[in-house]
Amino acid sequence: MTVSRRNFLKAGIAASTASMAGLTLTPAALSAAQETEKEWQWDKGVCRFCGTGCGLMLATRNGRVVAQKGDVENSVNRGWQCVKGYFNAKIMYGQDRLTQPLMRMKDGKFHKEGNFIAVSWEQAFDEMERQFRRAYAEKGPEGVACFGSGQWTVQEGYAMNKLFKAGFRANMVDPNARNCMASAVAGFYSTFGTDEPAGNYMDIEHTDTMVLWGANMAEMHTVLWARVMNRRLANPNVRVVNLSTFRNMSSDGADLEIIFKPNSDLAILNYLAREVIARDAVNWDFVNKHTIFATGPYDIGYGLRADPEGKWTFPEEADVVAKELKVALDKHEAIGQRRQEGEVVEQNSRGNPGAHWSISFEDYKKALEPYTLEFVAEVAKGDDSESIEEFKRKLRELADLFVDQQRKVVSFWTMGINQHTRGTWANEQIYAVHLLLGKQSQPGNGAFSLTGQPSACGTAREVGTFAHRLPADRVIPNPAHRQYTEEQWKVPAKTISPKVGSFYAKIMRDLQDGSVKWAWVQVNNPWHTHPNANHWIAAARKSDNFIVVSEAYPGISAKVADLILPVAMIFEKYGAYGNAERRTQHWREMVPPPGNAKGDLWQVLEFSKRFTVGDFWGEQTVPGLKAAGYEDNKLPSVLADAEAMGYKPTDSLYKVLFATPDNMQYKWPDPVAKGGGNHTSEALGDGWFVEKALWQEYVPFGRGIGKDLADYDVYLRDDVRGLRWPVVDGKEGTWRFNEEYDPYVTKGAGFEFYGKLLKAIPSGDLDKVTNPEPVGLPGKAKIFFRPYSAPVEQPDENYNLWFSTGRVLEHWHSGTMTRRVPELHRSVPAAVLWIHPDDARERGLQRNDLVWLESRRGKVQIRVETGGRNTMPKGTVYAPFFDEGVFINKVCIDSACPISKESDYKKCAVKVYKA
Amino acid sequence: MNLSGIVVICQPPKLSAVSKALSELPGVEVHFEDRDQGKIIVVQEALSIAAEMNGLRRIKALPGVVLADMMYHYFEDDPEILEGLTKSRGKQPMGESDVIPPLPIR
Repeated sequence: MTVSRRNFLKAGIAASTASMAGLTLTPAALSAAQETEKEWQWDKGVCRFCGTGCGLMLATRNGRVVAQKGDVENSVNRGWQCVKGYFNAKIMYGQDRLTQPLMRMKDGKFHKEGNFIAVSWEQAFDEMERQFRRAYAEKGPEGVACFGSGQWTVQEGYAMNKLFKAGFRANMVDPNARNCMASAVAGFYSTFGTDEPAGNYMDIEHTDTMVLWGANMAEMHTVLWARVMNRRLANPNVRVVNLSTFRNMSSDGADLEIIFKPNSDLAILNYLAREVIARDAVNWDFVNKHTIFATGPYDIGYGLRADPEGKWTFPEEADVVAKELKVALDKHEAIGQRRQEGEVVEQNSRGNPGAHWSISFEDYKKALEPYTLEFVAEVAKGDDSESIEEFKRKLRELADLFVDQQRKVVSFWTMGINQHTRGTWANEQIYAVHLLLGKQSQPGNGAFSLTGQPSACGTAREVGTFAHRLPADRVIPNPAHRQYTEEQWKVPAKTISPKVGSFYAKIMRDLQDGSVKWAWVQVNNPWHTHPNANHWIAAARKSDNFIVVSEAYPGISAKVADLILPVAMIFEKYGAYGNAERRTQHWREMVPPPGNAKGDLWQVLEFSKRFTVGDFWGEQTVPGLKAAGYEDNKLPSVLADAEAMGYKPTDSLYKVLFATPDNMQYKWPDPVAKGGGNHTSEALGDGWFVEKALWQEYVPFGRGIGKDLADYDVYLRDDVRGLRWPVVDGKEGTWRFNEEYDPYVTKGAGFEFYGKLLKAIPSGDLDKVTNPEPVGLPGKAKIFFRPYSAPVEQPDENYNLWFSTGRVLEHWHSGTMTRRVPELHRSVPAAVLWIHPDDARERGLQRNDLVWLESRRGKVQIRVETGGRNTMPKGTVYAPFFDEGVFINKVCIDSACPISKESDYKKCAVKVYKA
Repeated sequence: MNLSGIVVICQPPKLSAVSKALSELPGVEVHFEDRDQGKIIVVQEALSIAAEMNGLRRIKALPGVVLADMMYHYFEDDPEILEGLTKSRGKQPMGESDVIPPLPIR
């Protein structure tokens, strides 16, 4: 490049950056910026990574992205990006990008033990179909499954959901979002009767108190953290509290740091609720009008696979797995649950852990009584070097901030609360504190559940790609919801099975016991990211199952696969994501995918062409349908109804589910594309705009029930940077459930928690239901009492340290994409184990020593770090999970919240010794 | 070559000192200053991308810097991307794949 060209570029980039940062520029400088950018084609995009949903501007030239900048027009990030976000475009250009289907072959045909051979799409789909038919014939609809994703675009998730639930009649699709925010969903459902946060990111600028519950925002939601820090620096009255089990980067920006023991957040939240009552700070007007009190059973297990015969358990882990059925209460649990220490409790409510009933305020108050400052400080203090008095002072200060009438309070959380054996409870408890104070659903006041993935909200939750969900807060067990969905989808009544499918961990267990024989993975990396991985890898490699993995790079799941399908990545396809503040953002395909790679959506549609309705819509054998009022084991034939609707048994699923007459009206090309390509539509070749048609098919689900989305073209407009739902009369949503802001609230109500799910419950006392008659509670939220519960596995003499895992700033999840960006890889090349210097010394270890990190379930080698960005309290170690060379999930326990089925990655017991 | 547009925020009284320190860093050019807002706009040029990241870290570590972040990234001629493009953009040959390393098993 010539010097003058380089200087020209620099002047333009400088001027453009200055303008983005809000500097006033001379006309000459402005025109320099415009000149530089003139030769590139710019378009808006959204970040591929976390749930914040930052807006980006991408420049393309000659079929590839050449420059990227933060989008100043986007209210989420106003031009800012984090270091990961900054490399969105580069993740597409790694050297080992997969561009051709690869299948395990021996002697020219598929072989489970063969090596990966490049094959054509035709060969790939042939084998995939053959294996699918074999599994379906042998096991029925529940013998096939899909590991879906919170990184699916809305349309991708919608298509796969429909293919499985309406086409295959199998609710066997569940996203990795299960391991990310299922506890948040369960908490929203039980508390409000509808999913997703009431607030939005403007809460940051409206509030004066921000409390982080086990959420290291400084690393994990960096751009939101920049907004938090801006707010704090500009306003001396603002306070930030960081609650964590170890000191992390968010502590640097916090006024108050509380280091607590694993699971003791349950106790701290009860202390806060107790304190609100003790200090007479309950907002009675709000509580009486808008809430009721509730509780549920405590004996709900730990989400492990109950295995009394030891069939699926390593001998080393048997003692912990046994607790799934029976547990002796420790001293703190006994106090917190009003029982006797050592009492053995059979976990009898494992079958219905989410059952709950209303209680009186007097009972609620009585339940909180044990959670005094003294008791909670003893349970919760997480740093040996801190005095109990200092810890108590901090808890009091936290309570002071919450109850202060002059203060607005926002609570933020993600994985620390959600990935928790009592994650649903912890979510409910945070709402309880906010509801007691009436600090909810107002600008700057509210409990705000953040998300980890770019479309955990948009795709996993709103589209309902869980095994128990249908679009827009509808659920499989509800006959009216199934009926509505069948009508929208124009499929016969009773096509959708009434039985909830397997959740994410259960699909792993199904592969283990052979009840699932065929699985398709899209946009996630299950064998890298699911805990207790040694079991699942062994299960997947068993001889009689078939695993398809759609992937961009060869991560662990690709290596587990029998067939790898190369995918188009983010800006190589049309798509839409929904972020944590309910903002839906669409983007265009900007560059073509490489080689023979094709989008996940094309793959779903192309696969659907290989089947007819006759293959699935006859009678199917599905066990366990009696509860839903069906003949046992029989999912009835709907072929007669289908014929009455004009379908023939020979009609392909593609034609009946996707390329419908309604959808074919959306023609490709479309002016909204501004002349650009769409490889999905072009590869299908039948002239319809797939992403637009599926969007338009999907949006009616949420309209009129508070989940309204706008029409497709609106989102693609140059002046729109996503819209928060509900979009009503062209206006995007702000604060839900608040009459002042939410058109769905009845006039004069003030507040109304109008969600419809779980809104008729029996009543009882703290221990049981006393009146089984369900009573409706329209418009009300529930304030739950949930007790302290000890972690199922705790350090002992052998495994003597707590272990926690999560992300680092520079890498995304399993590193499949970010480790392809050389600068991100170099800045954090390998996972390290953060350990307290005393714990290291006691084990004869120094910084950078290679050690074994070992649990009951597996071990990995890793290097020791005693300094750096995290400071561990004595007794606790942390390592991130992104690095497949340090396969952390071999070590992690697969305990989970029994209500949400979300795994607990944040606590297990390990030992560390020199390698 | 990678070019990045970086916004540096400092305490306004320290702007001159920070600006001088920035201009002395290799590969960094100061283009704009806003004294009232304490903002400085620099463009960093780096041969390798690792150097670019280290450069940002150097900027963040300067005394008086409150915040520094990249807002703009140009990488049309990035050699690593070009290499990635040549390797992956062509169709992979039919035959045994060399991109799938072995599986880590217990």
